[in-house]
Amino acid sequence: MFHLFSDIFACRDNALARMDPRTKLIIAVAMIIFVIASSCVILPAAIFIICLTGMIAVGLPWRLILTRLITPMGVVLMLVIIQSLTYGRTPLLNICIGHWSGVIKREGLLHGLLMGTRVMSAISVTILLSSVTPSHRIFQALRNLRISKEWVEIAMLMYRHTFALLDHTADISDAQKVRLGYTGMKRSLSSLGVLAGAVIVHSVDMAGRTHEAMCLRGYQGAMPYGPMPAMAAKDRWMIGLTILAVAISYLWLERRLF
Amino acid sequence: MKRMFGFRRMVFWTTLVWTIGMVITIPAPAQAMHIAEGILPVPWAGFWFLIAIPFVAIGMRELRNRAENTPEIKPLVGLVGAAVFVISCMPIPVPIAGTCSHPCGTGLAAIIIGPWLTVVISSIALLLQALFLAHGGLTTLGANIASMGIAGAFVGYGVFHGLRRVGVSWLVAAFLAGVLSDWATYSVTSFELASALHGSGSMEIMFKAILLAFVPTQAPLGILEGFLTMGAYRFISMRRPDLLRRLAEKVTS
Repeated sequence: MFHLFSDIFACRDNALARMDPRTKLIIAVAMIIFVIASSCVILPAAIFIICLTGMIAVGLPWRLILTRLITPMGVVLMLVIIQSLTYGRTPLLNICIGHWSGVIKREGLLHGLLMGTRVMSAISVTILLSSVTPSHRIFQALRNLRISKEWVEIAMLMYRHTFALLDHTADISDAQKVRLGYTGMKRSLSSLGVLAGAVIVHSVDMAGRTHEAMCLRGYQGAMPYGPMPAMAAKDRWMIGLTILAVAISYLWLERRLF
Repeated sequence: MKRMFGFRRMVFWTTLVWTIGMVITIPAPAQAMHIAEGILPVPWAGFWFLIAIPFVAIGMRELRNRAENTPEIKPLVGLVGAAVFVISCMPIPVPIAGTCSHPCGTGLAAIIIGPWLTVVISSIALLLQALFLAHGGLTTLGANIASMGIAGAFVGYGVFHGLRRVGVSWLVAAFLAGVLSDWATYSVTSFELASALHGSGSMEIMFKAILLAFVPTQAPLGILEGFLTMGAYRFISMRRPDLLRRLAEKVTS
């Protein structure tokens, strides 16, 4: 019924998982920015291959990689079709379907294909980041990078309780299925409404219990965050060198340098 | 040989293979329409962040103010946020498209905890989805917050309370809030895509094309989300009417 979160693979011990989460976060964001700024497919394609190699090296299942990469391509596919038909001037192909006819244009198609490569590349960076960094380390890094502490606190509560609520939802859903709650559209919708309502009710009840439990453990309106050591010199060097390498490649490929 | 490797031929075959591959391998459930990572150019990604950040900041200020008088509001918002996140993962069968899709859940959340706090939980839910599920993205987070968090939440909240004020029954109000918040989300997403991707062509044509392309799935999905919102609201008001009163007090106190 529900999706698999990528960070379940982050508990494995490997070189990428041992890296400082701030370093990974900064490098990932910088790489994504260079990817979406590229007007040539080579840099996004190269970053995609590097990330794919990384995903295979950390032991991510092939099926999960494919599912994650293919899903957003549905939107891209639609955009490629629309762009090919509406953008550009050079005709490439005439299409006739019944009474409808359209012209696929070269510029639109090329732009669509570039966009597809950018999406694959940017998403592969995100998948690799979440596959080698546990959620609590990402939240800790976000807090350390001066993101609002209340926002991070709510994010941690949401993330932690999502799994408890998923279990509860699966239990109710199974019970509904056993009682033929999903036979026919009308009954399915009614069952889904009950399921959504029951999840909300359960979450509010759980919120009360969670608050009490937090107060008993010394909660005084704000979650304490463990201190994070200053970023090591090797991490600073890694950030600097990686961004420099990607920036030089970007400038070289965009013909703004050399 | 020259003809065989001609540019047109290469582009045509690449596209054909890519398209067929996509159609064959794409998983059956269609995902909620978050703008994927990499689609928006840097200036547009930045622009939508500039739009979204003030709303999230106001939502955070609301949360801080409420937390001073009602300390349990933070766990409540976190847990209701988690519930909305779970609801947005529930598969809904879309009969016309022959696939399953997912509700946004922002209309329901806005009715229960108010639009400003819904913006906050949407921003977190979208970040979690971008990081751990590869739905949406980090650079498209601003655009996705604007469509799902801001448009979806404010339209849902406005429709529900506006209709209740003119005496429409809560069942109809909840249904329309769900439908219109979903459609508002998709309209704004289409606008975001069209404004960023129309290039030298007409933005209006691009916007209409994108909107039309999503009609087969999103029009029925919006109606189904309306039924889901109505069903959930009916369940809560029948089983736990005290809870709706408590939430309204906590949110508006």
